[in-house]
Amino acid sequence: MTETLIENGQYNIGHICTGLQCARGLAGRTALRWLPSHGPKRDYTFGDLDLESGRFANVLASLGLVSGDIFFTFLPKMPEQFIAVLGALKARVVCGTLFTNFGEEALLDRLADSGAKAILTRRVFLPKLARIRARLPALKYVLAVDGGAAEGALDLAALMAAAPAEFKVPVTPRNTPSLLHYTSGSTGRPKGVLHCHGSVEGQAATAREILGLKPDDIYWCTADQGWVTGTSYGIIGPWSLGVTQVHYGGGYSAPRWAEILAAEKITVWYSAPTAFRMLMREDPVLFSDIKTSPLRHIFSVGEPLNPEVIAWARRAMGRDIHDTWFQTETGAIMISNRPGLEIRPGSMGKPVPDVTAAVLGKDGRELPPGTHGSLCLRPGWPGMFTAYLNNEAAYKDKFVNGWYHTSDTARKDADGYFWFDGRSDDVINTAGHLISPFEVESALLELPEVAESGVIGAPDELLFEKVVAFVHLHQGFTPSPELELKLRLHVSNKASTIATPQAIVFCEGLPKNKSGKIMRRVLKARYTGAAAGDLSTMEEEA
Amino acid sequence: MTTMETLNEIFRTVFDDAALQIKPEFTADDVAGWDSLSHINLILAVEARFKLRFNQKELLTLKNIGDLHRTIEEKLKTGK
Repeated sequence: MTETLIENGQYNIGHICTGLQCARGLAGRTALRWLPSHGPKRDYTFGDLDLESGRFANVLASLGLVSGDIFFTFLPKMPEQFIAVLGALKARVVCGTLFTNFGEEALLDRLADSGAKAILTRRVFLPKLARIRARLPALKYVLAVDGGAAEGALDLAALMAAAPAEFKVPVTPRNTPSLLHYTSGSTGRPKGVLHCHGSVEGQAATAREILGLKPDDIYWCTADQGWVTGTSYGIIGPWSLGVTQVHYGGGYSAPRWAEILAAEKITVWYSAPTAFRMLMREDPVLFSDIKTSPLRHIFSVGEPLNPEVIAWARRAMGRDIHDTWFQTETGAIMISNRPGLEIRPGSMGKPVPDVTAAVLGKDGRELPPGTHGSLCLRPGWPGMFTAYLNNEAAYKDKFVNGWYHTSDTARKDADGYFWFDGRSDDVINTAGHLISPFEVESALLELPEVAESGVIGAPDELLFEKVVAFVHLHQGFTPSPELELKLRLHVSNKASTIATPQAIVFCEGLPKNKSGKIMRRVLKARYTGAAAGDLSTMEEEA
Repeated sequence: MTTMETLNEIFRTVFDDAALQIKPEFTADDVAGWDSLSHINLILAVEARFKLRFNQKELLTLKNIGDLHRTIEEKLKTGK
């Protein structure tokens, strides 16, 4: 575990997670224990992953993809997801991972902006891709894991069968682009956050020092691979250390999750506050076996962790939950209530080693303890993103006077613990997913009934924030349950299910400032009953 | 059109898959995109199409599409 990660200048993540582990004598160790939603489990050793990812790298090469080209997976959690990501990285092809709940507009935004050349998916998603394919001239190849030849896709199984397993991984310098995750902003289209192979240093270090992974651990990260946690800590961190991972192909199920924790003898578990809050509602008897199980640590990421959740875990499982904070852009954990540090329930914890964090005021100066301000990081940590794809201006805007601005707001207490406040922009954090109000508003405006809309995030006990849409209808249309359903389904199928408004408020006109911009903070105040603040720039409402 | 055929139409609309062919034994793990949020869309769509309302207890006992189908049929028959 303390062996050198980088040998002979080789930063290639695909190699480090597979070939390097084999070279260290771990070829026969289980890397992936795959638990499908139905059917028997299957183990993949590091040797298996090395061969299969090598085969996939050869598949991409045979299609003409070269270093720097962009490839996406559009898959649920399944073995092919991991093999494809590792294989693409071996070939130095940039790999993006897409949530399968994305609608066609969300897919189009990401595939068009990146100029992706190939995508790997399932047959069931081919019709969605077919509807946007004409607007994706750069997309040469659509591969399907389960056939798809009749629908015009390339059959992955046939390609893999024809490809050799041996692939010579080119020496990959630290700054070589690796993974691409899109993240939402409050305005404009989602931005492609580009990472480089050198990020493996940060992910390995935090997996070892914060998650506390040890060689014999059995680790379970419930995050989807569409999320940065799913790649940084569901692929790279643990496998770069030779640790066995369990991955489950089913959705949320309290009895099944409790069974996995106990039966698979999970020692380190990484999940999200929304999931913990759902588990809190279950019968505590479900978790009684965990008290005597080898589970050593539980970690949480994605949204602030309520003190009640920590108290529940202590009661129900006899374990602490350690909060971690990071962003798509940071690539690795930056702040944490890590084991060994006294947990202050409700706080984010303290910066991890080699990370400098501060709360800055509007003048860019560090604020005294207890004062609310902008959460910023000193650039230069391993794992830091290297670009917003095709958007250099937005990238530069994130760095001011030697600080990276996270767009989160926080305060620091006198003992150096950070406490999350919220966002400094309008981005909505629902169940750990960042949703752009702009994307939801754009989807709603496509419907003939909608004249204008304003979308906000409102506090929610389960999801942290829920998406709320204020909708002003064109003349001649009236609110009805049927119309509400139509709006929900449209957002779900165009943007994503996670962006679906949980509440729709029909209204006559929306508050705007004198430039005509919708004042979302006024809508939020109206919904939550809070004070609206300064209204001097607001136009009279219609 | 039978209840199952209507239900299939609803599933196709909610999950944006014109070729989807549901089966009674299907659960959320068998339909691409069937997560907790699209489940709410599904229930709302079923209620609107069949003009019925589910209570919390009924929703909690649904384990698969067959259960959903049976519950709809019973409610249509009894008018509750």
